Amino acid sequence: MGNRSTFLSICFLVLFTYTVADVCTKPKVSASAYTTQDATVLTNIAFVAELSLNCENHVTGLPLYAEINGRTLPAARIGDDNKYQVSWTEDVKKAKSGDYSINLYDEEGYAALRKALRSGEDPSSVKSLVTVVVNYPGAYQGPWVNSEFMAAILSVLVWYLAFTARSKLLA
Amino acid sequence: MSGKQSKAFTKEEELLLQDFSRNVSTKSSALFYGNAFIVSAIPIWLFWRIHMIDLYSSIISFIAVTLASTYLVALAYKNTKFILKHKVAVKREEAVTREMTRKLAEDKKMSKKEKDERILWKKNEVADYEATTFSIFYNNALFLALVIFSSFYLLKTFTPAVNYILSVGAAGGLLALLSTGPQ
Repeated sequence: MGNRSTFLSICFLVLFTYTVADVCTKPKVSASAYTTQDATVLTNIAFVAELSLNCENHVTGLPLYAEINGRTLPAARIGDDNKYQVSWTEDVKKAKSGDYSINLYDEEGYAALRKALRSGEDPSSVKSLVTVVVNYPGAYQGPWVNSEFMAAILSVLVWYLAFTARSKLLA
Repeated sequence: MSGKQSKAFTKEEELLLQDFSRNVSTKSSALFYGNAFIVSAIPIWLFWRIHMIDLYSSIISFIAVTLASTYLVALAYKNTKFILKHKVAVKREEAVTREMTRKLAEDKKMSKKEKDERILWKKNEVADYEATTFSIFYNNALFLALVIFSSFYLLKTFTPAVNYILSVGAAGGLLALLSTGPQ
């Protein structure tokens, strides 16, 4: 009987320490990102950020959620150590070049964030766990002047020169 | 003396005839047809590499259209040259006469008639050369502008094969038509 209660209390203890450890203290993050570079034949720009989270209390396997400009999505865990990936797409025409901040939340923060979003509050009032900035320098969407237009303009220009020279001769 | 004179007269007459006829010399004709062929064949590259026509499956239309267009462009060269030649001759007359007179002034032995003949001959040559080269330049510029414009803009929605036949054919036809118009 005594053994069983000891076992149970150990179980509870383990569970308790686990829940306590489920908070990342002093998070440090390092990230690398990829954004679409050539969008000549694409309709959407892809954003992919890979980040590794280091907590002072060495918590691993935390579920993380990301918020980018009011859009929320879960961060996918990749690999065993604290590596995550956040990816999303945006319409080519709507994607503005510049910095995109990804606010990362743990479960608690995410719940608070959703509550804030539901009630129409400013989502920035909820403190994020950590923020990663992805820079999107813009994607190549083809030349400003396409080549056939350039060829047409040049050929018309040459013809115009020939025409004026001819008019001068015939005058 | 009289034989020489009559010969000189025929030469002058010949020049005069040549001056007013639409016929061109063999050399000039070869130049026209050679140039017309090159400029008619150039669109093949455009349609092959840019419009992605299959070269082998449409080889017959390439050959037919190129030949037809060569004929039309050469016709346009000839007509444009004919119109230009007289104008050029009038424009350059003074300068050619001045230069030839200066050149021939040293030659005391040459008769006045001979000198005049030489001046006339030179005038004809200068006008012919300038009209020929300018006609080639003008028609090439117009032909290529028409081909580029029609193939990329007017006939954009057609299949490349139809686009090729229509744009090159129409450009050649229009060129020949425009060259026959007044001026």
